[in-house]
Amino acid sequence: MATRDRPVNDPAGASPETVTGIAVTVRALCDVVEAIAPLGASLGVPAPEEMPWHGALFGTLQAQAARGPLVVAAVCGGTNTGKSLVANALVGAAMSRSVAEAARTRHPVASLPAGVAATADLGALFPGFVPVAWRSDEDALDPAAEDRIIWREDGSRRQPARLVIVDTPDIDGTLRENWHRAELVRDAADVIVAVLTQQKYNDAAVRDFFARAAAAGRTVLVVFNMIDWPAQRPRIGGWLATFTAETGVVPLAVYAVPHDQAAAAAGRVPFHALPELTGTAGGVDTTHERDPGPAERLAGCDFDRIKRRAVAGAWEVVLDRRDGMGTWLDAIDRAAGVWRETATFLEQESRVRVDLPPAPSDIVWNEIWSWLEPRRSRFDLAVSRLYRVAGTGVAWAARRVGLGRSSTERREDFTALEIAALKQALTDFVSRLEDACRHDPRLEQLLGPRLASADRAVWYADLEQRHRALPLVSEDYRAFVKDQLDRYSAENPELVGWVVTALNAGAVARPALTVGLGLAGAAVVPAAAATAGGLTTLVYHVGDVVVGTAATLAGEGALGLTAARLAPLVEQLFVGWSAERSRVLAETLHDVVLGDRLDEIDRLATAASRPELARARQLLDAVAAEGI
Amino acid sequence: MSDGAGERAGDEGGGLASGADPQPDFSDFDQLVASLDRWCGSLRDWGPAAAIHAEWSRVGPRLDRARRELARVLVVGVIGGTGTGKSTLVNALAGADVSDAGDVARPTTTAPVVVAGPDVDVSWLPLDALRARVVRSDAPAVANIVLVDCPDPDTQPREERPSTGAPERPVEERSRPSADNRNRDLLEQVLPACDVLLVVATAQKYKSWIVAREVAAFAPGRPLFFVQTQASRDADIRADWRRELESQGFRVPRIFRLDGVEAGRRAAAGLAPEPGFAELVTAIDEELAGRAARRVRRTGAIDLAAWFVRESRDRLTPLGEPVHEFVEGITTQRTRLEGLLAAAVGGKLRSQRHGWQRLVASEVVERWQGGPFATFVHAVDAVSSLWGRSRLGGGLVGRLLAGGRADAKPDGSPGWLAVEEIGLSESEVEQSRSILAGLAARARIGDPLVGRARLDDSQVQSLAVTLLDRAGRWLGTGVERMVDDRRGRLGSAAVHWTFEVLFAALLVAVLARAGWGFFYGHLWLGRPAEGAGFLQQAFVWLLLWGLALRWAVFRLVRLGLERDIAGLVRGVPAARLVDPLLADYSEAGRRVTDYLAEGRRLDHMTTRLAERLDEPTAALGRLRPPTSGTAP
Repeated sequence: MATRDRPVNDPAGASPETVTGIAVTVRALCDVVEAIAPLGASLGVPAPEEMPWHGALFGTLQAQAARGPLVVAAVCGGTNTGKSLVANALVGAAMSRSVAEAARTRHPVASLPAGVAATADLGALFPGFVPVAWRSDEDALDPAAEDRIIWREDGSRRQPARLVIVDTPDIDGTLRENWHRAELVRDAADVIVAVLTQQKYNDAAVRDFFARAAAAGRTVLVVFNMIDWPAQRPRIGGWLATFTAETGVVPLAVYAVPHDQAAAAAGRVPFHALPELTGTAGGVDTTHERDPGPAERLAGCDFDRIKRRAVAGAWEVVLDRRDGMGTWLDAIDRAAGVWRETATFLEQESRVRVDLPPAPSDIVWNEIWSWLEPRRSRFDLAVSRLYRVAGTGVAWAARRVGLGRSSTERREDFTALEIAALKQALTDFVSRLEDACRHDPRLEQLLGPRLASADRAVWYADLEQRHRALPLVSEDYRAFVKDQLDRYSAENPELVGWVVTALNAGAVARPALTVGLGLAGAAVVPAAAATAGGLTTLVYHVGDVVVGTAATLAGEGALGLTAARLAPLVEQLFVGWSAERSRVLAETLHDVVLGDRLDEIDRLATAASRPELARARQLLDAVAAEGI
Repeated sequence: MSDGAGERAGDEGGGLASGADPQPDFSDFDQLVASLDRWCGSLRDWGPAAAIHAEWSRVGPRLDRARRELARVLVVGVIGGTGTGKSTLVNALAGADVSDAGDVARPTTTAPVVVAGPDVDVSWLPLDALRARVVRSDAPAVANIVLVDCPDPDTQPREERPSTGAPERPVEERSRPSADNRNRDLLEQVLPACDVLLVVATAQKYKSWIVAREVAAFAPGRPLFFVQTQASRDADIRADWRRELESQGFRVPRIFRLDGVEAGRRAAAGLAPEPGFAELVTAIDEELAGRAARRVRRTGAIDLAAWFVRESRDRLTPLGEPVHEFVEGITTQRTRLEGLLAAAVGGKLRSQRHGWQRLVASEVVERWQGGPFATFVHAVDAVSSLWGRSRLGGGLVGRLLAGGRADAKPDGSPGWLAVEEIGLSESEVEQSRSILAGLAARARIGDPLVGRARLDDSQVQSLAVTLLDRAGRWLGTGVERMVDDRRGRLGSAAVHWTFEVLFAALLVAVLARAGWGFFYGHLWLGRPAEGAGFLQQAFVWLLLWGLALRWAVFRLVRLGLERDIAGLVRGVPAARLVDPLLADYSEAGRRVTDYLAEGRRLDHMTTRLAERLDEPTAALGRLRPPTSGTAP
């Protein structure tokens, strides 16, 4: 920050309130823009850096807040139009070396009034640049990728005390980074010195550059360089008319610099004022008999008025209805809306039915029996044990003659069928994702690379590995069964009592009671399956995706239970078991196949409701209401 | 901007420059163009190849025409930023003010001006479409060429920046004077008709981005003159310009430096031309007129072909690795499926013990007649047939081991269930196809080259028929060989009679013992006759001995069975049984690999040819030829 106590040419005119009053709002706006920008980029909204309001906000308003009374004048123009020559003339000394080769100046060079460097925060003065102290003329030619601003102090003390003069890189050459640096300087400057030539005053690149400056309320001085003086003097009016019509620039003053290589080399070029071309220019008294030249003309300006114009112009750009920051926020809203549709579409398209094999009934029943155990009579338990022993013997005999399978074999059969069903569901899911990507370019952009670049064999291996590691009955499932049965018995104590009685009676007939009961899969997910393993969004999606299970129940005592209207509970326990099993698919999909992509879709689809957006609109409305 | 290499149709014929040229042998080049044409059209279902084909549809006709119109006069397009003195130079070359020039307003030239000698036919140029004006000149510099003063590229408004979807730009912005400026569009219409570019620049504009972009877009296949104008005002920037051009990929043998205004003034005053201008005129005559025109066209054609090949190579190089991985993936997945098939079929064959026994032993033993052992075995079989035969199950293996025909068509319409028996379940096949679909997507191979990972019902059905047919024939042959081998082993008379002798030995021993006991013991010694107890015991032992021998026969059948089954399933890969399941992927892999290989061949061919037919000139610049290929 520049100190206020150093001699300036118009200290009384410095109005700190213009710069400090906006500082808070600007900082807040810059903060929200920085917070939203990554989201905007993910949503495919054009980068804010490409829009004029961004330069106005970050380049002008933010810099103004940090600048104090200093005024920045930037000398801008195309390659080899003599920008350095004009900058040197303004400073009154050789601040920047002229080189014959075009586009050699890669970094802007700033000439600071004596003493400013020690007190001013140069980084804040020139947002986006790394300030580097001048050591030699070669500094500005360094092809470093970093955006630097080379600064040096005015040794001659001829430069006005509040005026910083910047020589910029070109705006139309083959090196695009030069354009970018010139644009950063333009946005940070209060005054633009436009260096034009008869070859370039109507080039599209040149027009665009200065039109932005005009739209942001910059004060512009026009210098026509390399003029065949006085032969081309009558032409200049026409050139200027084209230039102003194209760019909207209303120049403060217009000068013509004759084409004179010898004078240029000696640093003694004359600036011919053309006051007849700027009859309506504002800023200073234009009725001088004799124009003192651009340096004095600048020094004689009302700096505070220039700064107020720059700030007002910048706010106008930021608040512009067609092109301002509001349109960027609107674009984010629109893009988020499209993503919401995309998310819905994906949710519909990626539902996969998993035809899991019927749950081995003994597993679920064992859990139910073990819950019932303390509630059963000794007689029932004794009979049960008897049947278990007898049953084991019969089963052994059956296996020997090849009619039965051991329980291990049956479980192997079951897990083989189960993994096949899960793998098939994975294939189906991936193929549906591919279809969805084909229909929706946004999904393609988000998921396509993931689907194409991954080694899918790893997906299947992961699923198989998770499935192998899955115990037949997990602790989560035990907790689920206990919870369900406890809740049920609390709600229906008399029914449970009845069931226990029925089981005591039915114990005799138990082995005969193997009645098939078909269940259509209800979408019941054990709470444990939904929340365990750190799964978030996906399980809810995949939860009902994978639980479309057709489980067939062939259970002991099922007849009695059905009679007791316990069927819904038992269904729930069976479906819950299947859901618990299919959790491995959800985990593979979440951890390996989709990774963070689903969270990303969720983030994009809910972007419109982010508080930063509301905050940004609130700030803009407040500024608009206060008036610029 | 690839469309810069584009060309407009309809410029047949044209004024012929005089004289035939003893040209080098260009039949190789013709052959190269024909090969490129075939290659480009060969795999249009593959995205990258389609893009190459689209590029070829612009480059091909240009090459074709260049070869057909070797003798036509060359069209030289003068290109450069506004204010660089293009029109002034054209006027100086034409020896008259044929094109408006000056500093009154930018841009000066808004429609192309075509300058040609009095007798040169320019009717083949699409003059109306270009809104071009034709001016005749008898100046020697334009006697053997057609010169086109082109509009500038730098005053037309630039392309709009990316839209935020905000409302249209305001009216006042669209009604700016430059809103109607279409100079660059017009330039891009004129340049395709040009054979040679004459690039004009000044100290202010030799590094103009927009000019560089246009020149780069139209440079492929078009030799260039580089001219610095306004020499009397500006410093000599040729060294820096040369560096700039070389960094953009140009070969720059020479840059001319002249002052168009001065040249025009001297010509008007009848003075000797200034040296820079004189050098340019001489160079135009030497490099572009008469025989040299053919050389320019040939060089242009070779450069264009080389450029095209280089572009194609750049497009295909990043896909080399993904395609390779895709092809490897096909092998991996085929091996995986074959492994599943081998394991399932092997398991099935091993588990069918009864099937083998019956198939081999029963057949053989049925043919054994007349011996006591044969009679015994037949009796046992007859009894056990009352018990009921053990079930072999259905399916291919069951059918084969039950003596059915291997190539019998499966019943009804087979689906996954029928195929699952040989280890290829729906989930496994789809898993392989899904993995391949991912690899294919990386190599940008998709529909219609390959199908979806999941097969629909009709595909499954036809695949199942093919698969079962193939597997049936392969398995049938294998099983038949094993059965024949074993039947041969059992069927020999020696084996038969060995068993007969072994069985008969006990029978004889029992009879001898019974005879001895009756005749000697009972009749001779007068001991009491042995009761039925002895015969009962003898019968039991005889039965057990017979059953033991029968077991030995079966053991003989099973001898080496394990080894033979292992040998059979080892032959699964050679039988290519699972190929139909991945046929679309294999076919796509083969075609894409062939395409890449042919691309590499053409790349080498082009590079060699460009080196051999290169005809360097002293004044004309060109895009640097490709370096030896590092194609995928």
